[in-house]
Amino acid sequence: MTPPKQDKQNDVLQGTLDLLILKAVSLGPLHGYGVLLRIQQISGEELIIQQGSLYPALYRLEHQGAIASEWGESENNRKAKYYRLTAAGRHRLEEETQKWKRMAGIMASVLRATPERA
Amino acid sequence: MNFRSLAIRLIAQPLSWARAMSRRRRLEKEMEAELATHLEYLAADLVRTGYAPDEAARRARIALGSSIVHKEEMRAALGLRGWDEMRSDLRYGARVLRKSLGFTAVAATSLALAIGANTTIFSVARQVLYERLAVPHAVNLRLLAWSAMDRHRAVHHIWGDDDPLPGGRTTSTSFSYPAYQQLRAANRSMGDLFAFKVTAMNATIRTEPQRIQTEMVSGNYYAELGVRPQLGRAIQPGDEGAPGQGPVAILSEGLWERSFARSPAVLGEIIKISDITFTIIGVNPHGFTGAKNVQQSPDVFVPLSMQPLIRPMSVRAAQAGKPYASALEDPNFWWVNVMGRTWPGTRDATAQAALAGQLNAIVRATMPVRPGDDLPHLELRDGSRGLFTQEKMFAKPMAVLLTLVGFVLLLACANIANLMLARGAQRQREMSVRLALGAGRTRILRQMLVESLLLAGMGGTGGLFMGYLGRNIIPRMTENAWERSDFHVHFDWNVFAFTAGVTLLTGLLFGMAPALAAARSDVTHGLKESAKTTTRRRKGAGGKALVAFQIALSTLLVIGAGLFLRTLAGLSSVEVGFRTDHLLLVPIDPPQGRYPAGKDVQLHERLERAFAALPGVESVAVAMESYVSDGESLMGFYPQGEKYDPQKHQEEDFNVVGNRFYETLGIPIVAGRSFGTEDTRISPKVAIVNQKLAATRFPNQNPVGKMFSLNGHDADGHGGTLTDEFIRIVGVCGDTRYSNLRQEPPAQFFLPYVQQSELGGVTFEIRTRLKPETILPALRKEVRQIDPDLPVVNVRTQEQQIAADVQQERIFVTLTSGFGLLALALASVGIYGIMAYSVSQRTNEIGIRLALGAKPSQVRAMILRESSWLAGGGVLAGLASAMVLSRAIQSLLFGIRSYDPLTLSSGVALLLLVALAASWIPARRAAGVQPMEALRHE
Repeated sequence: MTPPKQDKQNDVLQGTLDLLILKAVSLGPLHGYGVLLRIQQISGEELIIQQGSLYPALYRLEHQGAIASEWGESENNRKAKYYRLTAAGRHRLEEETQKWKRMAGIMASVLRATPERA
Repeated sequence: MNFRSLAIRLIAQPLSWARAMSRRRRLEKEMEAELATHLEYLAADLVRTGYAPDEAARRARIALGSSIVHKEEMRAALGLRGWDEMRSDLRYGARVLRKSLGFTAVAATSLALAIGANTTIFSVARQVLYERLAVPHAVNLRLLAWSAMDRHRAVHHIWGDDDPLPGGRTTSTSFSYPAYQQLRAANRSMGDLFAFKVTAMNATIRTEPQRIQTEMVSGNYYAELGVRPQLGRAIQPGDEGAPGQGPVAILSEGLWERSFARSPAVLGEIIKISDITFTIIGVNPHGFTGAKNVQQSPDVFVPLSMQPLIRPMSVRAAQAGKPYASALEDPNFWWVNVMGRTWPGTRDATAQAALAGQLNAIVRATMPVRPGDDLPHLELRDGSRGLFTQEKMFAKPMAVLLTLVGFVLLLACANIANLMLARGAQRQREMSVRLALGAGRTRILRQMLVESLLLAGMGGTGGLFMGYLGRNIIPRMTENAWERSDFHVHFDWNVFAFTAGVTLLTGLLFGMAPALAAARSDVTHGLKESAKTTTRRRKGAGGKALVAFQIALSTLLVIGAGLFLRTLAGLSSVEVGFRTDHLLLVPIDPPQGRYPAGKDVQLHERLERAFAALPGVESVAVAMESYVSDGESLMGFYPQGEKYDPQKHQEEDFNVVGNRFYETLGIPIVAGRSFGTEDTRISPKVAIVNQKLAATRFPNQNPVGKMFSLNGHDADGHGGTLTDEFIRIVGVCGDTRYSNLRQEPPAQFFLPYVQQSELGGVTFEIRTRLKPETILPALRKEVRQIDPDLPVVNVRTQEQQIAADVQQERIFVTLTSGFGLLALALASVGIYGIMAYSVSQRTNEIGIRLALGAKPSQVRAMILRESSWLAGGGVLAGLASAMVLSRAIQSLLFGIRSYDPLTLSSGVALLLLVALAASWIPARRAAGVQPMEALRHE
């Protein structure tokens, strides 16, 4: 059960994708395609998610207990698998949000720094 | 990640994995459906933006990408990938093993033999040395024991175990009954103490006289052990009344089955034990074997209070000059075993200290203690295995067997590793191709290990099966021809776990080297046509080291087998000093209640006359001790004028015999006369001594005509006297072995049984040309006419008795020879394999040599020389380790030293011979190489 090996850059991206998915389903249960649309929508179409990497991420999050899934009827009477946030997922979302904010703050202050004159 | 989310994952992930595993097919469908739905949504959205449906579907598929890859990643996200790869590894491994059936068969069979042998020995060792009593919470049981300086021991009369400790101390688990009672009353530091004693008795069960094992138990025995009968009730404190009270009995399940066909109507039925009537009140639960041991249950359990009636102590009472028939009231006679349970929270040391103080006070108050006497020091022992007497008998032999059988397994592993290395060289190409196609080295390593484990699994399954079939072989071997044995080896999950562990370990052990070698394969070299020649040398060296190791192990095992074989041969050729053929041993044990002093002697006289008159009987000897039967009787022997001296060894072995003893056993009378009809109950007391006693106690004198007495060794009532009269020596006879074959013939004196005031049980030694089963009915009939309750059991020939004495040696020879043969076979496979491989790899070189004028005999010699070096190195290493290790088994040997030159040299010669024989075929093949063909081959 080892996670697939990826290089450093992908790790960051993967963590970001997890956070985005958690945020998206925290607003209400969604099927996979809905998650994709919701992320695009709330990011103001700025973020484009690789369609293929979405499902492994969903499965991984479900495997870790952060989201749960259920088969249901979609708006146009199609069967679809709906994902919702679990209690553990909500906790994790809060945690990751804090972490992300702190990281963003640090990054911002780092990038604001100007060269000192000696 | 904090602790909480980690905990959630640790719970969620295995659950999710299990869910995925259990609904694998549904999961695959769902993944398919989910991706399909996604495509539909996406395509619909694209149609809405203006694409034609076909174009939209195409673009959606491109946008989503390969669904096969996604599904693979989704499975990986659920942790299913490892499993999937494992399955394909297994499938592939199975295919590889199926392809080379010969190799697989040889490897799996040798492994099965080795693992089966290990399983068998382990299951016996575990049962003999580690199994606990079948009672609830056996771990809490403590056995009371004590130790004291042997020389000045305050306790003089022990019926039970009495073992020497280092430093001149001895230890025993026997207590006097008064000491037990007072300890029990004073005990405040552990659970209530209970007592028991196991002994053989005569019984009549449904008119069938038989010899049974009886466990006499205290009234609280069942309650404290926590054992409930499967039928009827337990023995209760109320059953243990005053001495002689409480004639109730509980049967073992075995006896219930044997004699009562498991009838529930057995309750209330009457059986006779030592002529006393007992009412059956219960049947013990399945598996319960009493408190004494875990191997075999006594047949009947009765209250200890019945001891004075069923096993009166009249001989001892007479010796001590005291009127006790009851051992229950005798503070000087130590015989009952005592156990109790520890309390949770009370340390053993605390309980031991408290009880030890109490025992000291009890001994001082109840026994004559002289100044300088060493009082018994009480100690608590683990009681979960009963008295655990088997430890001192079996611990060492079992350790030796486990070591040897472990060597066999190691040898089998080396053999398979060697075969796999050779095969690995052939599979180099396959590995190179796989590496070239992008397989990771870890994946190849794992693939090879899975193959090894698969092979090990086959061997392990076979081994488990063999162990199951063979589980009762060793118990069968320990049985003798005339006694019933209920010893069965339990085959449970412990054994299964052991076998599984061993299997896994062997798989890793023999798989590691070939797997590493395969993972190290070189991509480019493997794909080249002539790659094999460049890698030969290194792999050859590894294989040769393995073969040398195999030869060393075989040498060790063969020498071990040789040592035990020589021991058995030595024991079998021991001169016992009497004729052992056509001699039937018939023990008769009259119960003391019906046959008190004097009556027993008369009974034996009647039986001797009756047996001697039977057709086919040549002569009948009566003997208190039959020889080589593990029994020994000693008594103080004082020639006239010699006084008791505690510093001197004055006790001698003795036997009480009938008039025709010497004639029947063929023991020569070398001086004076044998016993005869002139020696009667009222005539002057006479004795015969053997040559050894004559030489040690009457040096340079003629012992015939000398007088001696049997006075006890001290005057405080501990010792005893059979007779105060002086006894005249009338003859000197030849020396014989006494209790066993190992001990040199001891000094011995003989008394005629008709002159003894009481005798107890004797063995009738009957010389007859008839077969035992032919004459036995006639013997039984004679005994029944005299006393229908007297059992005739344990009848055996003297030769069977001697065979039983060397049973352990024979078992060792059987097992170690088996191991040795297996080792030889494995080693010869190894040598053959490595030499054949080497020859096939060197075909070119040999072809060139022959083409340049080498003679075939030179080539043959070259190959044989190579294998001789290999064998020589291995044999030397084996010889060295054998000489070191065999020192540990010196105590198990007889008649030879552990470095017995004959055994060592034959072992070495055998191994060298086998090595040469195994490499003969490859050497001949090398000599027969056709130079032209070999060169064209390239």
